[in-house]
Amino acid sequence: MNISKTLRGRAATAVSLTAVLALGATACGDDGSSSGTEGSGKGEITFWDNNGGPRTAIWTEIIKDFEKKNPDIKVKYVPIPIADVQSKYDTAIAGGGLPDVGGVGTAYLANIVSQEALEPISDRLEKSSLKGKLVDNMVESVRSAAGRGDDMYTVPTSANNGALWYRTDLFEAAKLEAPTTWPKFYEAADKLTDAKNNKFGYTIRGGAGSIAQALDAIYGQTGITDFWDGEKTTLNDPKNVAALEKYAALFKKTTPAADVNNDFTKMVAQWDTGTIGMLSHNLGSYQDHLKALGEGKFAGIPAPIGEGGTRVQVSNPVDGLGLFRSSKNKNAAWKFIEFAASHESNSKWNKSAGAIPANTEAAKDPWINETEPTALAAKALTDGSTKIVDLPYYLPDWNNISKADNEPEFQKLLLGKITAKAFLDTMADELNAAQKEWKELGNG
Amino acid sequence: MTAALVEKNGAHTPGPSRGNDSPPPSSPRRPKRERAFDDVPRWQIYVPLGIYLLFTLIPFYWMLLFAVRPAGSTSLVPWPMTGDHFSKVWNERSFALFFQNSMIVGVATLIATTLVALAGGYALARFDFKIKGAFMLALLCSQFIPGALMLVPLFEIFKNLQMINSLGSVVIAETVFQLPLSIILISGFIKNVPVSLEEAAWVDGCSRFKAFCAVVLPLLRPGLIAVGSFAFVHSWNHFLFALMFLSEQDKQTIPVGLNTLIGADSVDLGALAAGGVIAAVPVVIVFAFIQKWLITGFSAGAVKG
Repeated sequence: MNISKTLRGRAATAVSLTAVLALGATACGDDGSSSGTEGSGKGEITFWDNNGGPRTAIWTEIIKDFEKKNPDIKVKYVPIPIADVQSKYDTAIAGGGLPDVGGVGTAYLANIVSQEALEPISDRLEKSSLKGKLVDNMVESVRSAAGRGDDMYTVPTSANNGALWYRTDLFEAAKLEAPTTWPKFYEAADKLTDAKNNKFGYTIRGGAGSIAQALDAIYGQTGITDFWDGEKTTLNDPKNVAALEKYAALFKKTTPAADVNNDFTKMVAQWDTGTIGMLSHNLGSYQDHLKALGEGKFAGIPAPIGEGGTRVQVSNPVDGLGLFRSSKNKNAAWKFIEFAASHESNSKWNKSAGAIPANTEAAKDPWINETEPTALAAKALTDGSTKIVDLPYYLPDWNNISKADNEPEFQKLLLGKITAKAFLDTMADELNAAQKEWKELGNG
Repeated sequence: MTAALVEKNGAHTPGPSRGNDSPPPSSPRRPKRERAFDDVPRWQIYVPLGIYLLFTLIPFYWMLLFAVRPAGSTSLVPWPMTGDHFSKVWNERSFALFFQNSMIVGVATLIATTLVALAGGYALARFDFKIKGAFMLALLCSQFIPGALMLVPLFEIFKNLQMINSLGSVVIAETVFQLPLSIILISGFIKNVPVSLEEAAWVDGCSRFKAFCAVVLPLLRPGLIAVGSFAFVHSWNHFLFALMFLSEQDKQTIPVGLNTLIGADSVDLGALAAGGVIAAVPVVIVFAFIQKWLITGFSAGAVKG
């Protein structure tokens, strides 16, 4: 009995000790909100590329240029797969180990800012050579997406714009005009479809990323230019409901049935096989189309014009570079950000990515006009002809609402299991609640 | 009577002599189930198998096709062929390094898992102790905990141990998550080895450890292969721990490398397929060599003595 008691006692002591040690070990970690230091402006900094892989080559080149100009600073480049970048940041914020500089898109900027992981950069920008050299609407986008009033948390580097890609050869053969308006788009989708011969007018995005594309189609058709009407979203406005009904009705009628699972990879690969007339995707897939279809067989135009005669589109995420609060060498990190957003580097990067530069000097470089879709997109964004509906990227719940919660619901809508009204009402309720909660925290 | 039967059958069936009046030895009869199987027309077996194979092999064919056909080609046959995609991922996208890292993680996890599972499995199979039932239950329950849930605590522990950015952190995490199932399986295999064999070795002067090595271990070969290969393949394919614990490009593994081939707006399908082929080759080779042992191993481990 005594032995048994002793054993139990030892076991209890061992368990307690283990628990205390484990808690002690885990309590020591610094989270992303630690203040860091300015540092000497020399030494090594770590940079996380939020679209690691496709942009590795160009970043390697820019880093090489930077290190040549700043021989005292070494940049450690870490490519992070785009699909997992947010969870990688979240884990590092919770457990420590954030980089000095990281690529941060507006889609998840608010989430990182709300965890106090990023350093406000407005003061540094004021004293920087970049002052006045960043495209205004991109600056506004990153400022608004952070959701902290006038404070900026990233230096914008590039923006992408939605494009309607269409097969010029198929349009010519069917004697169709370019789909510059929504009625022309619907007409072409219908006329180019020959389902029996596996030919379709359009490919719809039903899987990951479906919501942003659907919102673009909805607001583009109705011409509603504000996402909020006071405290409530305009998302479930009756005009928007009617527009979504029309758009979702394309599924299986003028699109392949497999589109219900389409993420951008499948959608682009499917369009590149050459049997589909139109595709809505951003400028980033231009090189894929060029490789697959060849020059002269396709074109890319900005979103079609809607009822009101004005092009309306939802805001696309703007990519930027953030300085992390926990950095021990903020001076060196900021030098790298300044260099990457400078005319030469920014131009080089965006030319390689086929995106629109955030640096105003880079945005005027001749290569912009060499590629028609990029030139048209840049023109649409800068000549005042396009109204932008600002999506509430600043809501920390935006990603959950627009992805995890409602992408499966959009699939149900395509499959006819719920109505367009029910879908939009549910999403609108979530957005209204998230906006209310955000305002109650003293924002906005 | 015997002679008549021999004549009738046209052959003499060998068997023990039973004397003149004993009944003749009959030819060995195959089990009823086996005969029923033989009666099934071949097409009823091969057509469903063929359909199943089509579903299994078409994705592989598709991957091979994209990997070897030139960019932009829409051909459904892998001709003309190119090695450009392989060259690109292997040289430009650091897959040579990722492959090496994955191999280190896979082999180290295999060794660590097998060794610890052997010790744990032996203890469970051969000893009775008070919390044995609770321990088994805990092992089973641990299978329900998703890796993602443990990510932050594990991250902090490895960070405090200065093991972030070390392949060792991934090996430890993979081993820890592989161990419960491996211990349960190995204990099942050991239970199937009669204790009397070990006892005989003890009588001959062997220590417990020597008896285990000389008598039990050779009989566990199918089980060890099953557990080891399972640990290797799982760690080879596992993405999450490598992504989270390794933040240097030259430490990353194949699954992370594959994911970096999918960009935000574009994807190089040729390179992705070539990367997929490179990732699949070791797993296919492992399974091809150990298939026989694997099936024997899992079925043996399933029988509790």
